[in-house]
Amino acid sequence: MGLYVILRRSGWKSGEELEAAAARSKQVADEQMPDDIKWIRSYVLEEGAGSVGTVCIYEASSPEAIRRHASAAELPVDEIIAVADTVVIRPDSVPAG
Amino acid sequence: MTVHTAALLERSAELEALASGLAAVSSPAGRGRLILLAGEAGIGKTALVRELARRAEGARVLWGACDALHTPRPLGPLLDIAADAGGQLGAAVDDGASPSAVAAALADELRRRSPALLVLEDLHWADEATLDALRLLARKLEALRALVVVTYRDDEIDRAHPARIFLGELSGVQRLSVPALSLDAVAALAEGEDVDVELLHARTGGNPFFVTEVLASAGSPVPATVRDAVLARAARLGPPARAVLEAVAILPLRGELWLLEALAGDDLGALEECLASGMLRAEAQAVHFRHEIARVAIESTLPPDRRLALHRGALAALAGSPERRPDPARLAHHAERAGDTGAVLEYAFAAGEWAARVGAHREAAAQFARALRFADGLEPRQRAELLDRRSYECYLTDRIPEAIEARRQALEEYKSAGDQLRQGDAHRWLSRLSWFEGDNASAEREAAEAVALLEPLPPGRELAMAYSNMAQLRMLAADNRGTAEWGERAIELAQQLDETEIYVHALNNVGTAAVDAGDVTGAEKLERSLAIALAEGFDEHGARAYTNLAATAVQRRDYPSAERHLADGLAYCRDRDLDSWFQYMRGWKARAELEQCRFDEAMESADAVLRTPGVAAPSRITPLIVVGRLRARRGDPGIWEPLDEALRLAEGTGELQRLAPVACARAEAHWLAGDHEAIAGETRFALDIARGVGDAWSGELWVWRRRAGVEEDVEEENVAKQYSRELRGEYEAAAELWLALGCPYDAALALSGSDDEALLRRALEVFQRLGARPAAARLARTLRERGVRDVRHGPRRATQRNPAGLTARQLEVLVLVAEGRRNSEIAAQLFLSEKTVEHHVAAILRKLGASTRGEAASQAAALGIVAR
Repeated sequence: MGLYVILRRSGWKSGEELEAAAARSKQVADEQMPDDIKWIRSYVLEEGAGSVGTVCIYEASSPEAIRRHASAAELPVDEIIAVADTVVIRPDSVPAG
Repeated sequence: MTVHTAALLERSAELEALASGLAAVSSPAGRGRLILLAGEAGIGKTALVRELARRAEGARVLWGACDALHTPRPLGPLLDIAADAGGQLGAAVDDGASPSAVAAALADELRRRSPALLVLEDLHWADEATLDALRLLARKLEALRALVVVTYRDDEIDRAHPARIFLGELSGVQRLSVPALSLDAVAALAEGEDVDVELLHARTGGNPFFVTEVLASAGSPVPATVRDAVLARAARLGPPARAVLEAVAILPLRGELWLLEALAGDDLGALEECLASGMLRAEAQAVHFRHEIARVAIESTLPPDRRLALHRGALAALAGSPERRPDPARLAHHAERAGDTGAVLEYAFAAGEWAARVGAHREAAAQFARALRFADGLEPRQRAELLDRRSYECYLTDRIPEAIEARRQALEEYKSAGDQLRQGDAHRWLSRLSWFEGDNASAEREAAEAVALLEPLPPGRELAMAYSNMAQLRMLAADNRGTAEWGERAIELAQQLDETEIYVHALNNVGTAAVDAGDVTGAEKLERSLAIALAEGFDEHGARAYTNLAATAVQRRDYPSAERHLADGLAYCRDRDLDSWFQYMRGWKARAELEQCRFDEAMESADAVLRTPGVAAPSRITPLIVVGRLRARRGDPGIWEPLDEALRLAEGTGELQRLAPVACARAEAHWLAGDHEAIAGETRFALDIARGVGDAWSGELWVWRRRAGVEEDVEEENVAKQYSRELRGEYEAAAELWLALGCPYDAALALSGSDDEALLRRALEVFQRLGARPAAARLARTLRERGVRDVRHGPRRATQRNPAGLTARQLEVLVLVAEGRRNSEIAAQLFLSEKTVEHHVAAILRKLGASTRGEAASQAAALGIVAR
């Protein structure tokens, strides 16, 4: 398994759409592809005019597994980038409120 | 003594599911279905199905179980069912029927007398032919009023297990798993017994078989293992009953009464005690253990001398058996355990031949291996013949290293026997096998050695085959003249000897080379070779003919023809366990899909080959190239891993048909990364070979060099016109030719060389539409550098273009759904698993907001996807 960053820019028109997509994503990963895909975390991007995108961190057996997962869960893929190394300075801050 | 039965505690949900399945198929308009029942040994699968059968009023029950024999009998459980059913089914599947014949006869029987419940137990032990027959039956099931229940131990089949692959491919089936008993259920079973219930539950893990064994051996402390529990229970029997138990224990299939009489003699009088104790069950004219776990436990504790005596007795009795059909696999099993060399050699060989005849090639290889374990005392020639048979079965099932090992040993035997003819033939085989390992240098050496040994002898089929093998290697090396020369010699000799099989082989080689050379008679020769192979039942040659028809069609980019041959060839090979060619062709299918820009399909096909363990080197190269190119085209990471492996394997073969595509893929990856300097070096070696043989489609090599700025004279007459147009600067004409073939990415690449802004914009649009990010980015940069201002980020994803946001693959599935095809048919047509089709159909329904396939079909018509 390798670590990957996946860019999905302006993939959804609203937060609700994104939530539905996230549920599909988790279901496909856990039920259909448990050996090939592990969703680690995502950052949701404000893309203006209410639309949202994501930067996702996945563990995956190959870029093809990420493509297959995206297709089954109906998620857009702009770019898949392999992660060479991780530098963690501090944990993600929890947004206030 | 109480006989404890644990079976039906806490099983109402599973029983309900099974019973409603049976009720559904039994209704007048019922459609057949398959239920898979999984669980560990002793969990109560059989008890559950027995209860279902007991309740199956009005439905006919057919029952079979896969063998616990170390090497199972081909089609064993289905033959048992047929023998029990008798009548037309019994007659139809008598001796040596193929899996497809058995599946057809079973389907007929289920149609004739319905509704029916067909139980197939212990699929984890199934032989290959049984799995094939079951796969075929499953496809026919929807039209039959029958419930098929298949049980298996899910903890005993790993990812590469043939049964696992079979189960993974099934769809539209219901999967049930039988859970362990709760503490309450264990307590209910132990009611009135003096036993620590919590300890009992913990030790047995709630396994009903284990629990009842412990309770039946009451008085002793709770045993640590199920084996101990069985032995403790058996220890309570008197000596004659124990003797009966031991005799039954060495008979993995069943203990026929006549056979037990021979083994246990007067002790058989104690059979009643065994039955009363609940350790054995009686059925018709045979008895068996209540559970296989108990049989194994008893068998494993037999003293060696007692075990030997029992197997000897069983062998003698069965060999003189009143059975209708002598069963060589069963005889071989006892012969091996009886240490009877002569009997093993006789029966294992016969069992191997039988398995090979019905297409259970893995079992055949195992039977020949068994015979070989006892073959040390044989004459060199006889042992060598066994090795030949073993090698051939390993070759058919894609176990090339084992095939080579056996063939080398055979060669040594023929050497010591001074048999020059067979030595020559063994070298010819080693040539073929070396090629399959991707080692062409050894293949050429062995081929020449074969001819050298055989030519001084009187001309016979071995020499004809050696000639044809030379022709094949020349063909694979794209040496058309060499192929024709050797091929003519082979054909002439084969005709002289009236050897149809060799004629078909040689015709294939000559035809393939002619097709490569652009000779129209080549395809006719290949088609004729195929027709004869199909008519004569030459499986291997049929597979080769499909393979070469398909591969040459892809190479000359004739996709309609390629797709027809791939579909036919893949179906042919899958039904016959011809794994080597199945995987090879699937790789070419991936390439055809890539070139037609069906990226997701190409990815699926290539991935399927690369994930299969043990695939031969030549079959890996093409899918590796496809994965590398796909990653490069979509801008995904990890481009060089597959392309480096492909290069290494292709260099081992030295064949242009592998080296040129690898070189082009690597050139494209460099070009997309902006690294033009590397391209001349990457393409040099393949180009030298291509110039030597004048292969038109290797023109892609010239084109990549030109795109990288290499100025050189091109031998245009030897280059396909798509490439020569581009090389001459006729970019638009080249692109039109590509579009006519159905290759938009290649068209856009051709346009990229142009100076014309309109053409560049067209190319950019194509790249954007295909999700070819690196090529699009490259082109957008070029346009901006030329001062073009409004270069926009085009539609990001292909899905946005399609009606209702369907992907290309989903559109394809929808068209077939609208035609009223079933998932199984769609899967077969598109070479997907049924599971994948199910996912696609679910996504289509969701996107169209349809709740049935019919609604989806009318939506498709409304959207103009299919004609009304």
